[in-house]
Amino acid sequence: MNVLFLDAPYTGKVELCPETITFLKKKNIRCVALYASVQFCNNLEKIQEQLDRLNIKHITSRADRTHVRGQLLGCDNYHDSLHLNAKELEEIDAYLYIGDGKFHPLALVYAQKDVLKDQVKEIICNDPMARKMSMMDFSAIRVILRKYRASLMKFLVAKKVGVIVTVKPGQEHLKASFRLEKKFPDTKFYFFVDDVVSFSQLENFPFIEVWINTTCPRVGFDDQEKFVRGVVNLNDAFMVREILGKENALNNV
Amino acid sequence: MRLYAVEIERAIARIREESAKTVCIQLPDGMKPYAEEIEEEIVVATGARVLIWLGSNFGACDVPLGLPKMGVDLLISWGHNPFHKKMDGW
Repeated sequence: MNVLFLDAPYTGKVELCPETITFLKKKNIRCVALYASVQFCNNLEKIQEQLDRLNIKHITSRADRTHVRGQLLGCDNYHDSLHLNAKELEEIDAYLYIGDGKFHPLALVYAQKDVLKDQVKEIICNDPMARKMSMMDFSAIRVILRKYRASLMKFLVAKKVGVIVTVKPGQEHLKASFRLEKKFPDTKFYFFVDDVVSFSQLENFPFIEVWINTTCPRVGFDDQEKFVRGVVNLNDAFMVREILGKENALNNV
Repeated sequence: MRLYAVEIERAIARIREESAKTVCIQLPDGMKPYAEEIEEEIVVATGARVLIWLGSNFGACDVPLGLPKMGVDLLISWGHNPFHKKMDGW
């Protein structure tokens, strides 16, 4: 079966609202990393012109799972997902996200959990539909990150761990999850397969001490509360000691 | 005026190009109310049978399974572009 994806671009004006412009001037922002959701990312010329007029440098990149430069997906939520180099990361004063909703820009907050607290950059959200600006920072996910850190610590000492793998081709990571057995030979891993993550079924397996999520990486964060015994994303499980031993924002929330 | 461009002409062109007889349309929540018009436009223009995906459309990673068994020739998914899966488990 073939699949046709249609972007469904936003049909209205895509531009910085007055509130955003005032804020950028007031904060003396000199350089932004510019990203947008798929409905807006192919129509950023006007915003780039506005930034040029404000003498604000704008840089962008092609994030890990995206199809075009400047696009942001909710699952590109790790510090290396955006592929900005060290010089660019140092140069930017803030991230500027163009789009509506919170799901996508939250990826930029999560992406900064692995950096030093004083290197965390502000996230300015410009919504062209509502013509409004909002800010996003760690306050939006502080409780989630505290629980996530607790789940990481739990995983480190757990003897019986449940690994959740879904069958959707875009999210299935069975082979990668099998590598856990090599990396943690003293832990018993149970592999659970599902078409979506059935949260209501988790309690039927009381012998599981903590869960590993291999589906969408946002499940490990946004749905943390649905996992009574805690959940850790697959890639973080592999690096659990390094993450917990590092000086980073996650360990300081 | 619709907030998002449906690009129905692209959908119809692809259905004709593939001579698809049964098409499944998958819409993100914000576009699900457009299903009635999209279904009608596709049926009128191509005569294809249109099935409407009721469930989630979180991203291009969230393609429904089992459709070929139901005779679906083409899935048209709105609101996303191709997804580049990281094979190493992120």
